Amino acid sequence: MEEANASGLMFKLDLSKPLWEQVLHQIRGAVARNDLQPGEKIPSLRDLAQQLKINPNTVMRAYQELERDGLTETRRGQGTFITASQQKIAEARDLLAQEAVREFVSSMKALGIDRPAACTLLEEAKWS
Amino acid sequence: MMAINLENVTKAYGSQRALDSLTLGLFEGQVTGILGPNGAGKSTLFKAIVGLVRPDAGRITVLDSRPSWKTNGQIAYLSDQCRWYGSHTVQHSIDYAAAVFPHFDQKRAEQLLASMGLNRDVTVGTLSKGHEARLKLIICLARDVRLMLLDEPFSGIDLVSREKIIQGLIESFAERKQTIIISTHEIREAESLFDQVVFIDQGQVVLSGEVEALRQEKGSLESIYRGLFQ
Repeated sequence: MEEANASGLMFKLDLSKPLWEQVLHQIRGAVARNDLQPGEKIPSLRDLAQQLKINPNTVMRAYQELERDGLTETRRGQGTFITASQQKIAEARDLLAQEAVREFVSSMKALGIDRPAACTLLEEAKWS
Repeated sequence: MMAINLENVTKAYGSQRALDSLTLGLFEGQVTGILGPNGAGKSTLFKAIVGLVRPDAGRITVLDSRPSWKTNGQIAYLSDQCRWYGSHTVQHSIDYAAAVFPHFDQKRAEQLLASMGLNRDVTVGTLSKGHEARLKLIICLARDVRLMLLDEPFSGIDLVSREKIIQGLIESFAERKQTIIISTHEIREAESLFDQVVFIDQGQVVLSGEVEALRQEKGSLESIYRGLFQ
């Protein structure tokens, strides 16, 4: 696992999995957690490639996907910015939450814990 | 689009086949890693692409032509061997390169000297291995050419120089989208640079493909390499 700080964002890259998906996920995560604010500028493709020491094509693939999801907007000559749309940000958050739930469910299943028992565990879990 | 195509290329030294009916295509505008152990045929492959080695059989196409001095004008080749005029300073070497190599961009060389931390007044004969490697790369990257062939640019080089070289490569590629072919056995440092990868052994391709797809399917290039060659 390689860790890198790119313009204040922490990235963890695992070379055994596709890198573009990891870049995509981690930026999505930063938006959902508000580490990247609505309207905030994100590093240029070149800077991010440089800071993460990865191929610029890899970053481009992640950036294209973010743009397609409506999570970023590129303004000609100015750079790429996180969307100001709260709805798009909420969608990204929901997507990540659903993913976390799927992981939780499969961990519980692997442990042989059924739905009611898992729900009880969740009820009892500390949120703060 | 392919920048380089080899069809059934064979080159033997005595009874030893350095390239053994090798067939491969290298994509234009991408970074391709040529990975394999020492003696796999990596350097012979590069020499064949620039016409320094004439194959015994097979066909090579480079930038739509046969290897020749003419195509070499569009190729920056970082060879595993390198000679300097020992009394030259770094600056002299850059000036010399500007005089002999086609499409040499002196301004770009100056920028690279600064960004890669080389002092222009140092005599090349006294450069450390790492600094010499940086100078070799600068001379390649300063050329505004379509194809870059880098034979073992990282081997035996200290960590900081290696990072400078990787940084220089990313910067150059982001700007120009050249076709870059890098041979190496230092996989861990280099693997995040590649779009495509070709594993070769005993003069033949043992595995090739798009790196992100290989990661998805089989894991890191380092682990694939271990699996293939251990």
